[in-house]
Amino acid sequence: MIDLESVSVELDGRLVLDEVTVQLDQHRIAVIGANGSGKSTFARVLDGLVAPTRGTARVLGFDVAREAKRMRAEVGFVFTNPDAQILMPTVAEDVRLSLKGSGLDRSTIDARVASVLAAYGLAAHADAPAYSLSGGQKQLLALASVLVREPKLVIADEPTTLLDLGNARRIGTLLIEELPAQLVVVTHDLELAARCDIALRFHEGRLVELGDPAAVVERYQREFA
Amino acid sequence: MIALYLPGTSLLHRARAGVKLLGLVVLALLISLWPHTAITVAFTGALVVGLYALALFPPGMLLRQLWLAKWITVLMVATQLIFLTPWDAMVNTVRVVAIVLLAGLLTLTTRSEELLSALEAALRPLAFLGVDARRVGLTLSLTLAMLPVVADLARRVREAQQARGVRIGYRAVVPILVLALRHADDVADALSARGAD
Repeated sequence: MIDLESVSVELDGRLVLDEVTVQLDQHRIAVIGANGSGKSTFARVLDGLVAPTRGTARVLGFDVAREAKRMRAEVGFVFTNPDAQILMPTVAEDVRLSLKGSGLDRSTIDARVASVLAAYGLAAHADAPAYSLSGGQKQLLALASVLVREPKLVIADEPTTLLDLGNARRIGTLLIEELPAQLVVVTHDLELAARCDIALRFHEGRLVELGDPAAVVERYQREFA
Repeated sequence: MIALYLPGTSLLHRARAGVKLLGLVVLALLISLWPHTAITVAFTGALVVGLYALALFPPGMLLRQLWLAKWITVLMVATQLIFLTPWDAMVNTVRVVAIVLLAGLLTLTTRSEELLSALEAALRPLAFLGVDARRVGLTLSLTLAMLPVVADLARRVREAQQARGVRIGYRAVVPILVLALRHADDVADALSARGAD
């Protein structure tokens, strides 16, 4: 459950999120809008990466400003650029990092890492340097590193922006159809947004529309017709 | 020179990371402190070749590592020839290159995660001095992971110069630094998001 009450965010004296109030319990939530509309800030607020200047935000029952660390045990965040998200030198090590401090024993961690790498087609690259992967494989690795923790909520900030059509579709299908967790996906891919259960549209920091994704996407497209 | 792990089943691959790390320290000390004779130089060379053979790597691997160490070799020889005799310059260079090759062998046969765990364990007793072993380990992992990323940023800046037909020389360090700092911000967010802070 995502519950924002009059959330505003000011960064460097500029209002980037303006009085956003919303309650969301849908399974697949799309967030669309132009560059600089506030959608990425909205995603970052949900993971406690940006604290609200005013208002309160609760995600899965946690106050994002005060309980961010505890909340992140149950929330995964996928960044646009996987190069920023991959923190360890090799593929398997990066996935394993996500389970560090989980309290699981070594054999369980090994099994879970092997299973998630196999599920995302990365088993053959387990010991390969992460930087040697293609863009699509890097994003799959970033996703694998998030999902190995079995989060209840996944927030993805433009996860397909840097990918070619094939990889974008693969990641999109994976997020929309195969992810067991609740999903918030910030995207410019309107086809992907239309496949969600609900869409939110941001404009100049304000949440201007919320509802059936096909209708929200259509009205957004009409603005540029 | 970043020699990343190459999977294998040799004795060296199976040995504990801490034992190998300690072995490297002992060998580096021995190689550094032994007197300069033709026998010790030959023995050092044989030791390196023998250990690479023990790791069951193809012969080309040692040559590849030697090639990667070429600039260290050139720098060592060139600077020492100014002050020392050719023999002393050669002996010192062999010793340093041998240690670099052995360090490369350690990383080639050990997953960086195991190596860093061993390093963390070794640093833990220094906690009373305020050394946070976990943070040191994470910092070293990040350094290893980010070096190719920074190299890629430098390549992008170089290509941008070529595409625009300009050469800005040493001033290229500014855009590289800006990109690196922006990347550092993203990495800081990722560290928080992944609960590693």
